[in-house]
Amino acid sequence: MTHGHLWDRLAEAKTRLKPVQSKYRVLFEDPATPDEPAKVLVPDPNWMACALEGGILPPIETYQRDRDVPDGEPKEHPYAEPIGPMTEEEAVCYLIQKDICPSIWRDYKGNRTIMKIVPVEMIPSDRSFRNAWRIAQ
Amino acid sequence: MSTLEVSNLNDGTTTVATTYITNGSAKAWANFTGISTTALRDSLNVSSLTDGGTGDTTVTFSSAMNNANYTGSWYNNAGNYTTHGAFSNHYTGGFASRTTTSYGVFAYQASNAIDAFHNDTTIFGDLA
Repeated sequence: MTHGHLWDRLAEAKTRLKPVQSKYRVLFEDPATPDEPAKVLVPDPNWMACALEGGILPPIETYQRDRDVPDGEPKEHPYAEPIGPMTEEEAVCYLIQKDICPSIWRDYKGNRTIMKIVPVEMIPSDRSFRNAWRIAQ
Repeated sequence: MSTLEVSNLNDGTTTVATTYITNGSAKAWANFTGISTTALRDSLNVSSLTDGGTGDTTVTFSSAMNNANYTGSWYNNAGNYTTHGAFSNHYTGGFASRTTTSYGVFAYQASNAIDAFHNDTTIFGDLA
């Protein structure tokens, strides 16, 4: 049986899986834009449900190889064979590698902490000074 | 999952090509709040949001688009309201960066970035 296109699997999964609000957020700063505030990655609840279910998302390596594929050219990740279920922690690590620039999670050579996985409760709910947020060192 | 392969659909009087459906369907959409802790309420084909600062959000696709020339819509209610919020002459934001894997949206009230309670966005175009 063919596994079809990723979008088809996502649409089908949405009809049967209950969304899962992650208990984690990923704080990160981009060294290329030092004047910008810390950013907060928020996992999508439907995506998280797919990650925990398994049989829907492609291997992370396919997204990484597709970074080098020019726009308009065929991509690997939509048609790759899906991987099995992940834990929530594994899913967050997958998401970091997919949605955050490698220069932050892989290639950074400095001494400063520029990325942290934190419980959602640690993200300030008061956004009065949102554009001044930094990761505590 | 089974596949039905047809070129046209007919309801008895009108016939449309199935390409009307594949080309005309939204390929991604998201409904989220930027108030307090940014969070998605519901979505399709979205893997994450990145809160980049006041009123500044990046939406990342699960399944990428074929090119960056897709189109879409973006609405926010320009504040912490549960209704339509402030309009009159207030500019309420727009799309920012647009790539095959993600796109940015900004919410404004007057000339200031603002976190909004209602953020609704839909994307049309070709999938990779």
